[in-house]
Amino acid sequence: MATTASMQLNSDLMTGVLSASATSTLMKAGTTADGLDQMKMGYNKIPTGTSFDLLDATAGGIDKAAKVYICNESTDETYYVTIVIDAKTIGRLYGGDWMFIPWNQDDATHDLEITATGGTNNVTWICFHEGETLLTQGD
Amino acid sequence: MAISAALTLTSAAGDLTTNALSLTTSASLTKAGLSTAISQTSGLGRKTTATTDQYTLFKADEYTADKAHKVYLKNTSSNAAYYFLITIDDEPLGRLYAGDWALIPWSATGGTQAAFSVTFASSWATDDTAVFDGVTITLGAVETTAAMVDLVVAAKYPNWTVVETSANVATFTAKDSNDLSLIEEGAASDDYVITTAGSGTGTVARTVAPVASANDIKITPGGSSTNEVTLEHMLFNE
Repeated sequence: MATTASMQLNSDLMTGVLSASATSTLMKAGTTADGLDQMKMGYNKIPTGTSFDLLDATAGGIDKAAKVYICNESTDETYYVTIVIDAKTIGRLYGGDWMFIPWNQDDATHDLEITATGGTNNVTWICFHEGETLLTQGD
Repeated sequence: MAISAALTLTSAAGDLTTNALSLTTSASLTKAGLSTAISQTSGLGRKTTATTDQYTLFKADEYTADKAHKVYLKNTSSNAAYYFLITIDDEPLGRLYAGDWALIPWSATGGTQAAFSVTFASSWATDDTAVFDGVTITLGAVETTAAMVDLVVAAKYPNWTVVETSANVATFTAKDSNDLSLIEEGAASDDYVITTAGSGTGTVARTVAPVASANDIKITPGGSSTNEVTLEHMLFNE
Protein backbone atom coordinates (compact mmCIF):
# COMPACT_ATOMS: atom_id res chain seq x y z
CA MET A 1 0.00 0.00 0.00
CA ALA A 2 0.98 3.58 -0.33
CA THR A 3 -0.49 7.03 -0.05
CA THR A 4 -4.06 7.60 -1.13
CA ALA A 5 -5.17 10.93 -2.56
CA SER A 6 -8.89 11.59 -2.71
CA MET A 7 -10.61 14.62 -4.08
CA GLN A 8 -14.22 15.75 -4.11
CA LEU A 9 -15.46 18.66 -6.20
CA ASN A 10 -18.97 19.93 -5.58
CA SER A 11 -20.70 22.88 -7.15
CA ASP A 12 -24.08 24.52 -7.45
CA LEU A 13 -22.82 26.45 -10.44
CA MET A 14 -25.17 24.64 -12.79
CA THR A 15 -28.91 24.13 -12.56
CA GLY A 16 -28.12 20.42 -12.17
CA VAL A 17 -25.68 18.89 -9.77
CA LEU A 18 -22.07 19.21 -10.80
CA SER A 19 -19.69 17.04 -8.88
CA ALA A 20 -16.61 14.99 -9.49
CA SER A 21 -14.65 12.73 -7.25
CA ALA A 22 -11.41 10.89 -7.71
CA THR A 23 -9.28 8.62 -5.60
CA SER A 24 -5.89 7.43 -6.60
CA THR A 25 -3.17 5.46 -4.93
CA LEU A 26 0.09 7.24 -5.60
CA MET A 27 2.14 4.73 -7.52
CA LYS A 28 5.57 4.81 -9.07
CA ALA A 29 5.72 5.42 -12.81
CA GLY A 30 4.28 2.59 -14.87
CA THR A 31 3.23 0.24 -12.10
CA THR A 32 0.19 -0.51 -9.99
CA ALA A 33 2.15 -2.66 -7.57
CA ASP A 34 4.67 -0.30 -6.06
CA GLY A 35 3.68 2.94 -4.39
CA LEU A 36 5.62 6.17 -4.19
CA ASP A 37 7.77 5.52 -1.17
CA GLN A 38 9.47 8.82 -0.41
CA MET A 39 8.19 12.20 0.63
CA LYS A 40 9.24 15.59 1.86
CA MET A 41 7.06 18.23 3.37
CA GLY A 42 7.19 21.65 4.91
CA TYR A 43 5.48 24.81 6.03
CA ASN A 44 6.98 28.09 4.91
CA LYS A 45 6.31 31.77 5.33
CA ILE A 46 6.98 33.28 1.90
CA PRO A 47 7.83 36.99 1.96
CA THR A 48 6.86 39.14 -0.99
CA GLY A 49 9.06 40.32 -3.77
CA THR A 50 11.37 37.39 -4.38
CA SER A 51 10.98 34.16 -6.30
CA PHE A 52 12.07 31.20 -4.17
CA ASP A 53 12.83 27.61 -5.04
CA LEU A 54 10.31 25.64 -3.03
CA LEU A 55 11.38 22.30 -4.51
CA ASP A 56 14.60 21.58 -6.34
CA ALA A 57 14.37 19.28 -9.34
CA THR A 58 16.78 16.38 -9.32
CA ALA A 59 17.87 13.95 -12.00
CA GLY A 60 16.37 11.12 -9.95
CA GLY A 61 12.91 12.55 -10.58
CA ILE A 62 13.01 12.78 -14.35
CA ASP A 63 10.03 11.16 -16.09
CA LYS A 64 8.65 9.76 -12.83
CA ALA A 65 5.26 10.05 -11.20
CA ALA A 66 6.00 12.58 -8.46
CA LYS A 67 3.06 14.55 -7.07
CA VAL A 68 3.14 17.91 -5.32
CA TYR A 69 0.55 19.31 -2.95
CA ILE A 70 0.67 23.00 -2.07
CA CYS A 71 -1.87 24.88 0.00
CA ASN A 72 -1.85 28.62 0.51
CA GLU A 73 -2.85 28.90 4.16
CA SER A 74 -3.29 32.68 3.99
CA THR A 75 -6.68 33.83 5.21
CA ASP A 76 -6.64 37.07 3.21
CA GLU A 77 -8.22 36.31 -0.16
CA THR A 78 -6.20 39.06 -1.85
CA TYR A 79 -2.92 37.33 -1.02
CA TYR A 80 -1.62 34.85 -3.52
CA VAL A 81 1.42 32.85 -4.51
CA THR A 82 2.45 32.35 -8.12
CA ILE A 83 3.70 28.89 -9.02
CA VAL A 84 6.43 28.79 -11.65
CA ILE A 85 8.30 25.84 -13.13
CA ASP A 86 11.35 26.50 -15.27
CA ALA A 87 10.34 30.11 -15.90
CA LYS A 88 6.85 29.05 -17.01
CA THR A 89 4.05 30.48 -14.91
CA ILE A 90 1.62 27.74 -14.01
CA GLY A 91 -0.93 29.69 -12.02
CA ARG A 92 -1.89 31.45 -8.83
CA LEU A 93 -2.99 30.04 -5.51
CA TYR A 94 -5.03 32.61 -3.62
CA GLY A 95 -5.55 32.46 0.13
CA GLY A 96 -7.18 29.12 0.94
CA ASP A 97 -6.51 27.56 -2.48
CA TRP A 98 -4.67 24.29 -2.88
CA MET A 99 -3.27 22.36 -5.79
CA PHE A 100 -2.22 18.78 -6.42
CA ILE A 101 -0.13 18.39 -9.55
CA PRO A 102 2.18 15.90 -11.21
CA TRP A 103 5.77 17.11 -11.30
CA ASN A 104 8.13 15.89 -13.96
CA GLN A 105 11.59 17.00 -12.94
CA ASP A 106 12.45 17.27 -16.59
CA ASP A 107 15.95 18.54 -15.93
CA ALA A 108 17.91 20.38 -13.27
CA THR A 109 16.23 23.65 -14.22
CA HIS A 110 12.78 22.27 -13.55
CA ASP A 111 12.64 23.61 -10.00
CA LEU A 112 9.27 24.49 -8.57
CA GLU A 113 9.38 28.17 -7.68
CA ILE A 114 7.03 30.29 -5.67
CA THR A 115 6.50 34.04 -5.39
CA ALA A 116 4.25 35.72 -2.85
CA THR A 117 2.09 38.77 -3.55
CA GLY A 118 0.04 40.93 -1.20
CA GLY A 119 1.96 40.08 1.95
CA THR A 120 3.74 37.18 3.58
CA ASN A 121 1.95 34.02 2.43
CA ASN A 122 2.06 30.86 4.52
CA VAL A 123 2.14 27.66 2.51
CA THR A 124 2.03 23.98 3.37
CA TRP A 125 3.61 21.66 0.86
CA ILE A 126 4.23 17.97 0.37
CA CYS A 127 6.12 16.20 -2.39
CA PHE A 128 5.57 12.47 -2.91
CA HIS A 129 8.27 10.97 -5.08
CA GLU A 130 10.21 7.85 -5.94
CA GLY A 131 13.69 9.15 -6.56
CA GLU A 132 15.98 11.95 -5.56
CA THR A 133 19.60 12.61 -6.35
CA LEU A 134 20.94 13.44 -2.92
CA LEU A 135 23.68 15.99 -2.62
CA THR A 136 26.93 14.91 -1.08
CA GLN A 137 28.45 16.85 1.76
CA GLY A 138 29.95 20.08 0.51
CA ASP A 139 27.69 20.42 -2.51
CA MET B 1 -23.12 29.87 -5.68
CA ALA B 2 -20.16 27.91 -4.43
CA ILE B 3 -17.64 25.41 -5.57
CA SER B 4 -15.84 23.32 -2.99
CA ALA B 5 -12.74 21.26 -3.59
CA ALA B 6 -11.77 18.87 -0.82
CA LEU B 7 -8.60 16.83 -0.66
CA THR B 8 -7.68 13.95 1.63
CA LEU B 9 -4.21 12.46 1.70
CA THR B 10 -3.77 9.37 3.82
CA SER B 11 -1.04 6.87 4.44
CA ALA B 12 -1.59 4.09 6.96
CA ALA B 13 0.93 3.23 9.65
CA GLY B 14 3.72 1.23 8.16
CA ASP B 15 3.07 2.34 4.59
CA LEU B 16 4.99 5.48 3.72
CA THR B 17 6.28 5.91 7.25
CA THR B 18 5.96 3.88 10.42
CA ASN B 19 3.33 6.31 11.66
CA ALA B 20 0.07 7.05 9.95
CA LEU B 21 -0.20 10.25 7.97
CA SER B 22 -3.38 12.10 7.24
CA LEU B 23 -4.16 15.49 5.76
CA THR B 24 -7.52 16.95 4.87
CA THR B 25 -8.11 20.31 3.30
CA SER B 26 -11.00 22.01 1.62
CA ALA B 27 -11.14 25.14 -0.48
CA SER B 28 -13.95 27.19 -1.92
CA LEU B 29 -12.91 28.06 -5.45
CA THR B 30 -13.26 31.83 -5.53
CA LYS B 31 -12.43 34.58 -7.97
CA ALA B 32 -9.01 36.21 -7.85
CA GLY B 33 -8.72 38.39 -4.76
CA LEU B 34 -12.37 37.97 -3.84
CA SER B 35 -14.48 35.74 -1.63
CA THR B 36 -17.14 35.25 -4.31
CA ALA B 37 -17.25 31.96 -6.13
CA ILE B 38 -15.86 31.35 -9.58
CA SER B 39 -18.86 31.55 -11.85
CA GLN B 40 -17.98 29.66 -15.01
CA THR B 41 -17.04 26.12 -15.88
CA SER B 42 -16.38 24.09 -18.97
CA GLY B 43 -18.31 21.24 -17.37
CA LEU B 44 -16.94 17.75 -17.05
CA GLY B 45 -15.62 16.40 -20.31
CA ARG B 46 -13.62 13.54 -21.74
CA LYS B 47 -10.92 13.42 -24.37
CA THR B 48 -9.94 10.11 -25.92
CA THR B 49 -6.74 10.29 -27.89
CA ALA B 50 -6.11 8.40 -31.09
CA THR B 51 -2.43 9.03 -31.64
CA THR B 52 0.62 9.92 -29.62
CA ASP B 53 0.42 13.46 -30.96
CA GLN B 54 0.16 16.42 -28.64
CA TYR B 55 -3.38 17.75 -28.16
CA THR B 56 -4.38 21.20 -26.97
CA LEU B 57 -6.94 20.88 -24.20
CA PHE B 58 -7.51 24.53 -23.23
CA LYS B 59 -6.40 27.59 -25.19
CA ALA B 60 -5.21 30.47 -23.04
CA ASP B 61 -6.41 33.02 -25.61
CA GLU B 62 -9.99 32.15 -24.69
CA TYR B 63 -9.68 33.07 -21.02
CA THR B 64 -8.64 36.09 -18.98
CA ALA B 65 -5.03 35.96 -17.81
CA ASP B 66 -3.85 35.96 -14.20
CA LYS B 67 -7.08 34.92 -12.54
CA ALA B 68 -7.85 32.06 -10.17
CA HIS B 69 -8.71 29.46 -12.82
CA LYS B 70 -8.45 25.80 -11.79
CA VAL B 71 -8.17 22.77 -14.03
CA TYR B 72 -9.16 19.27 -12.95
CA LEU B 73 -7.65 16.35 -14.89
CA LYS B 74 -7.92 12.60 -14.44
CA ASN B 75 -6.39 9.75 -16.42
CA THR B 76 -9.20 7.17 -16.56
CA SER B 77 -6.99 4.34 -17.83
CA SER B 78 -6.56 1.22 -15.73
CA ASN B 79 -3.37 0.17 -17.53
CA ALA B 80 -0.44 1.18 -15.34
CA ALA B 81 1.79 1.99 -18.29
CA TYR B 82 -0.55 4.50 -19.91
CA TYR B 83 0.06 8.12 -19.01
CA PHE B 84 -0.62 11.65 -20.14
CA LEU B 85 2.22 14.13 -20.14
CA ILE B 86 0.69 17.45 -19.13
CA THR B 87 2.44 20.52 -20.54
CA ILE B 88 1.85 24.22 -20.12
CA ASP B 89 2.67 25.53 -23.57
CA ASP B 90 5.78 23.41 -24.20
CA GLU B 91 6.89 23.17 -20.57
CA PRO B 92 6.38 19.67 -19.13
CA LEU B 93 4.45 19.84 -15.89
CA GLY B 94 4.27 16.14 -15.16
CA ARG B 95 2.81 12.76 -15.97
CA LEU B 96 -0.60 11.49 -14.94
CA TYR B 97 -0.47 7.70 -14.88
CA ALA B 98 -3.49 5.40 -14.79
CA GLY B 99 -5.98 6.63 -12.20
CA ASP B 100 -3.95 9.73 -11.35
CA TRP B 101 -5.69 13.06 -11.07
CA ALA B 102 -4.64 16.67 -10.61
CA LEU B 103 -6.05 20.04 -9.65
CA ILE B 104 -3.91 22.71 -11.28
CA PRO B 105 -4.02 26.49 -10.92
CA TRP B 106 -3.84 28.07 -14.36
CA SER B 107 -2.67 31.57 -15.24
CA ALA B 108 -4.02 31.37 -18.83
CA THR B 109 -1.55 33.87 -20.24
CA GLY B 110 -2.62 34.20 -23.84
CA GLY B 111 -0.70 35.55 -26.78
CA THR B 112 -1.23 38.42 -29.20
CA GLN B 113 -3.18 37.81 -32.37
CA ALA B 114 -1.68 39.09 -35.60
CA ALA B 115 -3.54 41.86 -37.39
CA PHE B 116 -3.25 43.61 -40.70
CA SER B 117 -5.20 46.19 -42.68
CA VAL B 118 -6.12 46.37 -46.33
CA THR B 119 -6.62 49.84 -47.75
CA PHE B 120 -8.79 49.78 -50.85
CA ALA B 121 -8.61 52.49 -53.47
CA SER B 122 -9.92 53.49 -56.87
CA SER B 123 -12.76 51.73 -58.68
CA TRP B 124 -13.54 48.06 -59.01
CA ALA B 125 -14.77 46.24 -62.08
CA THR B 126 -17.06 43.28 -62.62
CA ASP B 127 -15.29 39.93 -61.93
CA ASP B 128 -12.49 41.52 -59.90
CA THR B 129 -11.51 39.21 -57.06
CA ALA B 130 -10.01 39.40 -53.59
CA VAL B 131 -8.76 36.09 -52.22
CA PHE B 132 -7.72 35.46 -48.61
CA ASP B 133 -7.87 32.57 -46.10
CA GLY B 134 -9.58 30.36 -48.69
CA VAL B 135 -12.37 32.85 -49.29
CA THR B 136 -12.84 34.43 -52.71
CA ILE B 137 -14.84 37.57 -53.21
CA THR B 138 -15.91 38.05 -56.83
CA LEU B 139 -17.59 41.27 -57.86
CA GLY B 140 -20.82 40.96 -59.80
CA ALA B 141 -20.81 44.61 -60.82
CA VAL B 142 -18.70 47.75 -60.78
CA GLU B 143 -18.16 48.81 -57.17
CA THR B 144 -16.78 51.75 -55.22
CA THR B 145 -14.03 51.23 -52.64
CA ALA B 146 -16.59 51.65 -49.84
CA ALA B 147 -18.76 48.91 -51.34
CA MET B 148 -15.69 46.72 -51.74
CA VAL B 149 -14.89 47.11 -48.05
CA ASP B 150 -18.48 46.22 -47.20
CA LEU B 151 -18.18 43.01 -49.20
CA VAL B 152 -14.86 42.09 -47.63
CA VAL B 153 -16.21 42.67 -44.13
CA ALA B 154 -19.40 40.71 -44.81
CA ALA B 155 -17.48 37.55 -45.72
CA LYS B 156 -16.75 34.81 -43.16
CA TYR B 157 -13.11 33.72 -42.85
CA PRO B 158 -12.17 30.45 -41.14
CA ASN B 159 -9.09 31.74 -39.34
CA TRP B 160 -9.55 35.49 -39.19
CA THR B 161 -12.08 38.06 -38.10
CA VAL B 162 -12.51 41.31 -40.02
CA VAL B 163 -13.97 44.71 -39.25
CA GLU B 164 -14.35 47.95 -41.18
CA THR B 165 -12.02 50.49 -39.60
CA SER B 166 -12.84 53.28 -42.09
CA ALA B 167 -14.77 53.66 -45.33
CA ASN B 168 -11.90 52.27 -47.37
CA VAL B 169 -10.02 50.12 -44.83
CA ALA B 170 -10.73 46.61 -43.56
CA THR B 171 -8.70 45.25 -40.63
CA PHE B 172 -8.18 41.52 -40.16
CA THR B 173 -7.29 39.87 -36.83
CA ALA B 174 -6.19 36.26 -36.45
CA LYS B 175 -8.45 34.06 -34.33
CA ASP B 176 -5.49 32.19 -32.87
CA SER B 177 -2.35 33.81 -31.49
CA ASN B 178 -0.44 30.67 -32.38
CA ASP B 179 -0.87 31.57 -36.05
CA LEU B 180 2.49 33.26 -36.47
CA SER B 181 2.42 33.58 -40.24
CA LEU B 182 3.32 37.04 -41.44
CA ILE B 183 1.06 38.42 -44.12
CA GLU B 184 3.01 39.92 -46.99
CA GLU B 185 2.63 43.67 -47.12
CA GLY B 186 2.12 45.95 -50.11
CA ALA B 187 -0.19 46.25 -53.10
CA ALA B 188 0.95 42.94 -54.59
CA SER B 189 0.69 40.68 -51.54
CA ASP B 190 0.96 36.96 -52.17
CA ASP B 191 -1.21 36.37 -49.10
CA TYR B 192 -4.04 38.79 -49.76
CA VAL B 193 -4.39 38.40 -53.52
CA ILE B 194 -6.28 40.94 -55.55
CA THR B 195 -6.96 40.46 -59.24
CA THR B 196 -8.50 43.43 -60.98
CA ALA B 197 -9.41 44.35 -64.48
CA GLY B 198 -10.08 47.93 -63.45
CA SER B 199 -8.02 50.34 -61.43
CA GLY B 200 -8.84 48.97 -57.95
CA THR B 201 -6.00 48.42 -55.50
CA GLY B 202 -5.74 46.86 -52.08
CA THR B 203 -2.65 47.67 -50.04
CA VAL B 204 -1.77 45.40 -47.14
CA ALA B 205 -0.06 46.69 -43.99
CA ARG B 206 0.71 44.63 -40.91
CA THR B 207 -0.62 46.40 -37.81
CA VAL B 208 0.00 43.94 -34.99
CA ALA B 209 2.87 41.46 -34.76
CA PRO B 210 1.77 38.06 -33.41
CA VAL B 211 3.05 36.63 -30.14
CA ALA B 212 2.30 32.98 -29.50
CA SER B 213 0.23 31.98 -26.51
CA ALA B 214 2.49 31.02 -23.63
CA ASN B 215 0.06 29.04 -21.53
CA ASP B 216 -2.08 26.61 -23.51
CA ILE B 217 -2.70 23.37 -21.63
CA LYS B 218 -1.64 20.44 -23.77
CA ILE B 219 -1.66 16.69 -23.29
CA THR B 220 0.45 13.99 -24.88
CA PRO B 221 -0.47 10.32 -24.35
CA GLY B 222 2.34 7.90 -23.72
CA GLY B 223 2.98 4.27 -22.93
CA SER B 224 -0.01 3.09 -24.92
CA SER B 225 0.23 0.63 -27.77
CA THR B 226 -3.20 1.60 -29.08
CA ASN B 227 -2.91 5.31 -28.29
CA GLU B 228 -6.48 5.25 -26.99
CA VAL B 229 -6.32 6.79 -23.56
CA THR B 230 -9.09 8.85 -22.02
CA LEU B 231 -8.61 11.95 -19.93
CA GLU B 232 -11.37 13.55 -17.89
CA HIS B 233 -11.17 17.31 -17.64
CA MET B 234 -13.00 20.25 -16.16
CA LEU B 235 -12.08 23.92 -16.07
CA PHE B 236 -13.36 26.41 -13.51
CA ASN B 237 -12.76 29.92 -14.78
CA GLU B 238 -13.79 33.51 -14.26
